[in-house]
Amino acid sequence: MADTYLNLVNTGITKEIAKKLGLPRPSVLRRFDPSKPLVPGPVLLLGNGESVTTLSETMLAWNLDVRRHATPGQKLGAIVIAWDTLTAPGELSETALAVGSALKDLLPGGRVVTVSRPATDSDAPETAAVRQSVDGFVRSVAHEMRGGSTANGILLGEAADAGSTGLIATLRFLLSGRSAYVSGQFIEVSNDAGELPTDWNKPLDGKVAVVTGAARGIGAAIAKVLQRDGAQLIVVDVPQAGEQLAKVANKLHGTALQLDITAQDAGKRILEHALSRYGRLDIVVHNAGITRDKLLANMDEAKWNSVLAVNIESQLRMNRELLDSGKFGHNGRIVSLASTSGIAGNRGQSNYAASKAGVMGMVRATAPAIGSLGGSINAVAPGFIETDMTAKIPFLTRQLARRVSSLQQGGLPLDVAETVSFLASDAAAGVNGEVVRVCGQNMVGA
Amino acid sequence: MKTVDLTEIPALPKLYVSAVGTAARQKLSGNRGSSALPEVRHSVKGASVDVGRLTAFQNVLRMPVKDDLPSGFVHAFAFPVAMSVMAREDFPLPLLGMVHLRNTVEHLAPIDFRQSLDILAWAENLRGHRAGTQVDMIVEVSSNAELLWRGNSTYLAKGVFLPGIDEVTARDKEQFEPPAPTARWRLGAGIGREYAQVSGDFNPIHLTALSAKVLGMRQQIAHGMYMASRIVQEATPPGVDAFAWEISFEAPVYLPANLGVAIDENLDDGQWHGTTFSAWNEKSRRRHFHGSISPRS
Amino acid sequence: MASSGNPTPGQQVRQAVVIGGNRIPFARSGGAYTYSSNQDMLTAALDGLVARFGLQGERIGAVAAGAVLKHSRDFNLTREVVLGSALSAHTPAYDVQQACATGLEAVVGIANKIKLGMIESGIAGGVDSASDAPIAVSEGFRRVLLDLSRAKTTSQKLKALSKLRPSDLAPNAPGTGEPRTGLSMGEHQALTTAHWEITRQAQDELALASHKNLANAYERGFFDDLMTPYRGLTRDSNLRADTSLEKLAKLKPVFGKNLGDNATMTAGNSTPLTDGASTVLLGSEDYALQHDLPMLANIVDAEAAAVDFVHGGEGLLMAPVYAVPRMLERNGLTFDDFDYFEIHEAFAGTVLSSIKAWENDDFCRTRLGLDGALGSIDRTKLNVNGSSLAAGHPFAATGGRIVASLAKTLHEKGTGRGLVSVCAAGGQGVVAILEAR
Repeated sequence: MADTYLNLVNTGITKEIAKKLGLPRPSVLRRFDPSKPLVPGPVLLLGNGESVTTLSETMLAWNLDVRRHATPGQKLGAIVIAWDTLTAPGELSETALAVGSALKDLLPGGRVVTVSRPATDSDAPETAAVRQSVDGFVRSVAHEMRGGSTANGILLGEAADAGSTGLIATLRFLLSGRSAYVSGQFIEVSNDAGELPTDWNKPLDGKVAVVTGAARGIGAAIAKVLQRDGAQLIVVDVPQAGEQLAKVANKLHGTALQLDITAQDAGKRILEHALSRYGRLDIVVHNAGITRDKLLANMDEAKWNSVLAVNIESQLRMNRELLDSGKFGHNGRIVSLASTSGIAGNRGQSNYAASKAGVMGMVRATAPAIGSLGGSINAVAPGFIETDMTAKIPFLTRQLARRVSSLQQGGLPLDVAETVSFLASDAAAGVNGEVVRVCGQNMVGA
Repeated sequence: MKTVDLTEIPALPKLYVSAVGTAARQKLSGNRGSSALPEVRHSVKGASVDVGRLTAFQNVLRMPVKDDLPSGFVHAFAFPVAMSVMAREDFPLPLLGMVHLRNTVEHLAPIDFRQSLDILAWAENLRGHRAGTQVDMIVEVSSNAELLWRGNSTYLAKGVFLPGIDEVTARDKEQFEPPAPTARWRLGAGIGREYAQVSGDFNPIHLTALSAKVLGMRQQIAHGMYMASRIVQEATPPGVDAFAWEISFEAPVYLPANLGVAIDENLDDGQWHGTTFSAWNEKSRRRHFHGSISPRS
Repeated sequence: MASSGNPTPGQQVRQAVVIGGNRIPFARSGGAYTYSSNQDMLTAALDGLVARFGLQGERIGAVAAGAVLKHSRDFNLTREVVLGSALSAHTPAYDVQQACATGLEAVVGIANKIKLGMIESGIAGGVDSASDAPIAVSEGFRRVLLDLSRAKTTSQKLKALSKLRPSDLAPNAPGTGEPRTGLSMGEHQALTTAHWEITRQAQDELALASHKNLANAYERGFFDDLMTPYRGLTRDSNLRADTSLEKLAKLKPVFGKNLGDNATMTAGNSTPLTDGASTVLLGSEDYALQHDLPMLANIVDAEAAAVDFVHGGEGLLMAPVYAVPRMLERNGLTFDDFDYFEIHEAFAGTVLSSIKAWENDDFCRTRLGLDGALGSIDRTKLNVNGSSLAAGHPFAATGGRIVASLAKTLHEKGTGRGLVSVCAAGGQGVVAILEAR
């Protein structure tokens, strides 16, 4: 599971050898550490969008060293670009080139974050063009980043104000180490909903969260991060995984609920457990999933059906039960695990990709209903993550899968968990119906 | 009847040695002795029990270590006095090679090991047996003139037929069908040596296969009194102070052996009316001993 | 209700409530838990309980548990387990031992402390390993070692050593035999089974029902919140869901072979040697309410009995037969007042002999002091989720298995009572009444 190559090229004598040979040298990513500053250096705020005031005031309130102009040679922790009032492609040039000259001064683990509006069918052609241009720009910059730095964009939807809570929360997420393995992505803030936490290090304080498939791997990491961020945890897994599940629960001071999520009454039992033990349920993370890989020509019914049953049908059923119960939804957050396989497809995974693509469809279609109750539903699509599951991939394929991403490495379960925790927070309530890829801008699905 | 006062309880090994001498002398002189028992009682006054020996006895028999003497221990403690009668030159039967047939004991009151004990032993009832001549050895144990324990051990001198003593015709052997066991005894090869240590009865037939073979036995055999002591301990209900027991020995127990044991208690309305017991070889199904225990008030 | 003026344990003190339970799947000896110690298994069961009810770092009023086969190093087994668990290290613990009734007696002891207001919460449990059983040195060797340790001079030491015989070096494995009779439990039960004329078929039918009921319970997820897998085992390894009367009929008798044709007890209708552990969380009503924990059932009352099997007066495993009527009388109840009966299946013959004894006029009059037969047990209410014949029987762990399962069954039904009956070595038995909440 450990990425030996990454460790080799970043430590001791092997680091020097790799340098001399010109081998690709993936960086150790800057991950969340509450004892370290939000960004590693001053923030250069460019662009003249409407959001500039909010961005500037917010970052100053976070005690960041915000600059409006670059000083060549002065190292930067992040570059934030307020592009939310663009109307024609010609308006890009000045700021884009300023970004370009500042990139050289970006510290390792640096961030580029744009704030713009999504192109819609009702836009004037010029406006739609420039809004779409930001997309191509950010994705390309992300590919050019070095030293574990990332580039991402925030989209402000029609109903989202330039000073919306969702903008602030998403900005903080993208600037911080929490988004270490998120790059080349756009997160849309669709409305002004949300409430900022009193303590940014405990954004889930007082919340009760359920994580399915929590006995190991990504699920266990999600549970751990949610607990770190202040939530009380109910960890769920099949009875067969009970031994590891109990260990996770005991480590996190949570409760273990052994449950097969494909059971008809799974949602009811989860809700019952949460309400009787904790009196509330705020967050549901649909993480449980299985793979039964086979080329479609060789696929049997059992392999197809079991993957669909666990990965999507159970989620649909549980969501329905949760929303129909009337006891979940007000500020309720659902985060589902999708996959980049569901976006780009994957050989031998027609069943898995179908189920994961289904998750994305479900999330989009559920968003209006849950949003009207004050809740939200989003999906996280992990790319290549270092887990027991990916450890089974043959060595060369595994190495290739790691290096093709812009960050030249696989992500960690922690990286997925950080994004889940962000989407589960009340501050991110304005983000609804989104699919956030945690893939290090892996080529798979771009 | 005359009473001979002994100063102490004689040591069994000494008695065996003197018995060997007596046998040799009788063989040499051709004197088979008389057909009458000696009109004498041997007596030891003020005998005291060594608590260490008592504890060792209780350990070997897996009995609780208590201050009251187990009935079998009283026998082991006092019987050398009877043996000294049997070892007398005027005793009509040879001590060596005598077979222990049965015991009846009346245990009339609890005996604390600190009590000073008076022992009186004599022989009586010399009579015929289909295989030779049998005799009853009586031992009485009392303290402060109160009779506490009375034992009658019947011995057979195999192949010895004395003039004037009627021969008894052999009876048909009764068929024995082992009942359902209520216990199993696993008797190891060394149980004879262990019991010899605590009882003082070092008769070679109990010690090793070799020493037993010298005396014409196939293998070493268990002491009859080991089995009697153990079954009486196990089968007497707790809290019973006064009781009588009898045991008849049949086939010898060659060691090692697994014995099936059946203890059948006669209870009526919660009152104990007595217990019968028997033991047999689990393989051959031959009965080794049987007997009973009954209450005495 | 009881006519005497004495307080009835179920009435006059506060309730002790079963909150839930957890056990690890039971494994046939020599199987999945071969190299797990009692401490390992009980810790796993306890940690699963802690995980289910979120008790991490909590100071529980008391933890009582025990094992029948115990190493000398396990003299303080339960406390050692608590120290190695996710509970607070400030949780006191004590060991209990009442042979196969250890688990149930631990439940009763904890329940009583709760009823009396001495503690608010408690955990009862039990564990046994027939695989990792203690092996002792022989009695002779032990005495030599002890004498040697007391010897001060070299000559004393040599003297002590000189008593050592080669045969003393052979180790003593624990027997399952009764110390006072040398008979194994199965041989004892064979006597009782023959006495009550329990047929081979009746025993096989009970064994079959046990397997079927346990398999059904697994199928409907009954054990999802009663069990935490351990060492890769997710179900009781003794369970044979596909067994049949034909298969059971083919097995040869293993106990009571001296009974000839009357030998009826096989490996199929007797429990195998098993490894496993179980725990039960109990609390006062206040405790459960304050901690938002479920309340499955009340521990209403319990009774212990013992019989004199040494002197042939009664069968070794018949003590519960005596305990039940005493407990029923005290609570003013009859068999008709119960919805479930959990009679521990040490052997199929044990259960059937007990039932037959309760149905027997003469026996109930002369032995139990009743006016007539105590009554019959509706077999559809008996061991409805399987019992020891199918699940296996890690001696001290059986009580906790039964109490947790019965409490859940009662809670699912929502009303009614259950009777627990566990026989034990030494001619003992412990029985208890649980009441749904």
